[in-house]
Amino acid sequence: MAENLASGATGLHAWLLVTSALFSVGVYGLLTRRNAVGILLSLELCLNAAAVQFVVFNAVRAPARVDGAVMALFVVAVAAAEVVVAMAIFVLLYSRRRTVDVTDLTGDGPGHAGGAP
Amino acid sequence: MSAEALRTALFWLFAALSLALAWSVVGNRRLLRAAAALMGVLGCSAGFYALLGFGFLAGVQVLVYVGGIVVLLVFLVMLTRTQALLEDEPTPWRHNVGVVAALAFFATNLWALAGLPDAPVVGPALGGDTRAIGRALLDVGATGYVLPFELVSVLLLAALVGGIAVARKVDPASQSAEADHG
Repeated sequence: MAENLASGATGLHAWLLVTSALFSVGVYGLLTRRNAVGILLSLELCLNAAAVQFVVFNAVRAPARVDGAVMALFVVAVAAAEVVVAMAIFVLLYSRRRTVDVTDLTGDGPGHAGGAP
Repeated sequence: MSAEALRTALFWLFAALSLALAWSVVGNRRLLRAAAALMGVLGCSAGFYALLGFGFLAGVQVLVYVGGIVVLLVFLVMLTRTQALLEDEPTPWRHNVGVVAALAFFATNLWALAGLPDAPVVGPALGGDTRAIGRALLDVGATGYVLPFELVSVLLLAALVGGIAVARKVDPASQSAEADHG
């Protein structure tokens, strides 16, 4: 692994190193963001890294087929569905509570059920 | 410069760029800038797809992901803007937990993947994937993807209807009237 990385060749290990690093950065964001939208951005990072890895394995293991590429397309479609649902939930949450801070969502909250803020 | 050297140089350029931008996505205190950085990361991934020879996938990535999903995320950032425009720095405890979890995941992942033999990554010729992907998506055979393809269209429809149902404004009077009827 190390000699290939040092020579600069883009073998499988170099690709996997990059996609794993991208996913790990996304994991860090998932655990440290307080804003729900920021968490969603980090999640998109993880999804994208996984999709790239699907395509890399497609190119390495079966260059004549496109199964990994099809999986990447499905990942994009599922990400679209996920963002739509998250958008609905967060907009509703924001109109009720005036915040999307996930550390501030326990209990009834200030704006619950039309109560005075 | 040979084509192989160019490919290698482009790979490391996209890799460095996407890692730097990914750090900005998780670390930038302004969410709008984080969303813009996410656009850059996804654009670099489109470059990765093109390097691997999947030109159709690169186009879909730019059109749907960068042009559609991230724009939706930008709307979301603007719609849920709090009076404190900036997100706080994470507390040391959250920061440490995040670093430890991310590094543990990274190490475990590398440990699991290091057993794979290193191999040159050679995809199809650029642009040669469009016909194959179209055939695979509508193939009814044992290796085809027509059922997941149709399920994804149902999923998108369900997400659309669900999103409208959750987010629409409900008049309290009509809501109680509906409850009476139900």
